[in-house]
Amino acid sequence: MSSPGTSRGRTAASHALLAVLSLVSLFPVYWMFASAFRERGDTFDQSLVPWPLSLGNYRYVFDSLDVAGLLANTLVVAGVTAAGQLMVCLLAAYAFAAWDFRGRSVLFMAFVATWLIPFQVTMVSNYLVLSNLGLLNTLAGVIVPNLCSALAVIMLRQHMQAFPRELLDAARMDGRGSWTTLWTVVVPNLRPALASLSILLFISAWNDYFWPALVLQRANSVVQLGIRGYLTAEGDDWGAVMAASGLACLPILALYLAMQRQIIDAFVRSGLR
Amino acid sequence: MFVEFAPGGAVVLPGGGVTVTPGGAAAMPAGRGQAARPALARRVLAALPPYLYLLPGLACLVVWTYKPIIEAVQLSFYHWNLLPTSPRTYVGLENYRRVFSLPQLRGAATNTLWYILGLLPFSIVVPTVIALTIRDLGDRARSVYRALIFLPILVAPVATAAVWRWLLDPRGLVNQALGLGHYNWLREENTALLSILAICAWQIVGFATLVVSAGLTGISADYGEAAQMDGASRWQATRWVTLPLLRSTLLFMLLMTVLLSAQWTFPLIDVLTQGGPADSSTNVYYLLWDFGFRSLDSGLASAAGIAFFVVFAAVAAVLVRLADRYSFADN
Repeated sequence: MSSPGTSRGRTAASHALLAVLSLVSLFPVYWMFASAFRERGDTFDQSLVPWPLSLGNYRYVFDSLDVAGLLANTLVVAGVTAAGQLMVCLLAAYAFAAWDFRGRSVLFMAFVATWLIPFQVTMVSNYLVLSNLGLLNTLAGVIVPNLCSALAVIMLRQHMQAFPRELLDAARMDGRGSWTTLWTVVVPNLRPALASLSILLFISAWNDYFWPALVLQRANSVVQLGIRGYLTAEGDDWGAVMAASGLACLPILALYLAMQRQIIDAFVRSGLR
Repeated sequence: MFVEFAPGGAVVLPGGGVTVTPGGAAAMPAGRGQAARPALARRVLAALPPYLYLLPGLACLVVWTYKPIIEAVQLSFYHWNLLPTSPRTYVGLENYRRVFSLPQLRGAATNTLWYILGLLPFSIVVPTVIALTIRDLGDRARSVYRALIFLPILVAPVATAAVWRWLLDPRGLVNQALGLGHYNWLREENTALLSILAICAWQIVGFATLVVSAGLTGISADYGEAAQMDGASRWQATRWVTLPLLRSTLLFMLLMTVLLSAQWTFPLIDVLTQGGPADSSTNVYYLLWDFGFRSLDSGLASAAGIAFFVVFAAVAAVLVRLADRYSFADN
């Protein structure tokens, strides 16, 4: 077959290819932080390593932008959205996985099909509904329309279908109702799946852009809009803009450092987002 | 499947059991000791639980997805500027006629096609090449690379836009590295679309590589090795054994790229170019957004939305059929 020489050559080529791709992937993120840590006056400095390091840009950002408020709002939106989606979709997936009922496949298709429907087709009507409910410019207006996620229903149903039937049968023998069974048998056994799904939903909600941009017209609401406003207002102050952008990504990057394996697996399994 | 919680089982009534009776939720787990009730009521109760569990999700779907679609269809026959005080005028098919005759829209559709074609190499070709190359790397090296190439998809879209705007700034690093002087990538008709495309490719290529890699791990390496034992070259084994087994993954990526390219590029367009200069970087969804919320032409936006939705759904249906036809060989 292949001699050790060519196989070593191939390994070297693999490493080279991946190293290039990794560098391309990483560099803009590095550049964001490198630009942020330059001194205030060095805005257009292009040296690859920022020196001397300075927190001046961060100090400026904290003075000119309500960073804590933006992060807190985004945390609320992403946290409540993810928790709500998890709850709503857990119940729906349970219905699909545990019962045979009339209309099951049609209803399941109704969930899956929402994945196909672009947000831009429904946005005008939803905007009007929120406006009638007085939810424009509120965090609730960002959260409520997103409470059902087709992706979460599909993934949870898959996990539940793989669930050992004996456990459910045993629960039924014990005379437990379906509600008790869900919380005492199903949920504890699905904990890893629920954990990775909730991270996925949280990250998606954190990085969501369209809907918050539509509902919250003020820039001082969630980080995505905060940076967009900042980008317009501060124009060429790249050090400050990069510092603000870095702060907006920081919670997600920290989460990624802590649990990158689970995060990658959850994203890859879910397909694209 | 555990069907029977209640005595009598979940015998589904003809006509379904969607009626929600008051107190149904409370009665559901117990469901016993109802001998006195008429059999029909008991059977309705027994059939009820799955529908109750579905209720919150279904309510969301109806309120936020299906009802709005119907309303969008209705709006597409009217002329209305979204202001509650101004009247809606029925205009029949006028909006649809405008959709198909607006040069702006034709331009956006062409751009969308370019975005899709431009992203396909980065969602399918490059990822497949890389995934095939890295198959045999050691676990540790692979997990380091995985972590690095996955990173871009996690960066918030607005932060991505910001850092790339800085990189592509006339005085930014890209111009300096290429020695191009003060070229303004995002403000020139020739390069605005290309820049957005490049940024979007940067966001998805590592992620797509991991999806294809995951598809590859589902395929036993034995097949390829067996083919090589039989005298096939490495390339032949890949081309005739591995790639065919990978096609459901690749079709899936194709479907995603076709359907979602316009979504992926949307925030970048909004933050970086607003579709300009001279509409050279806009796409169909961005134009919709523009009609609906900048020009406040809700009828036109709805008509265009419905039209695009129908086109995309037709493409998706064809691709799904292809996937079905070709995926039987996988098992």
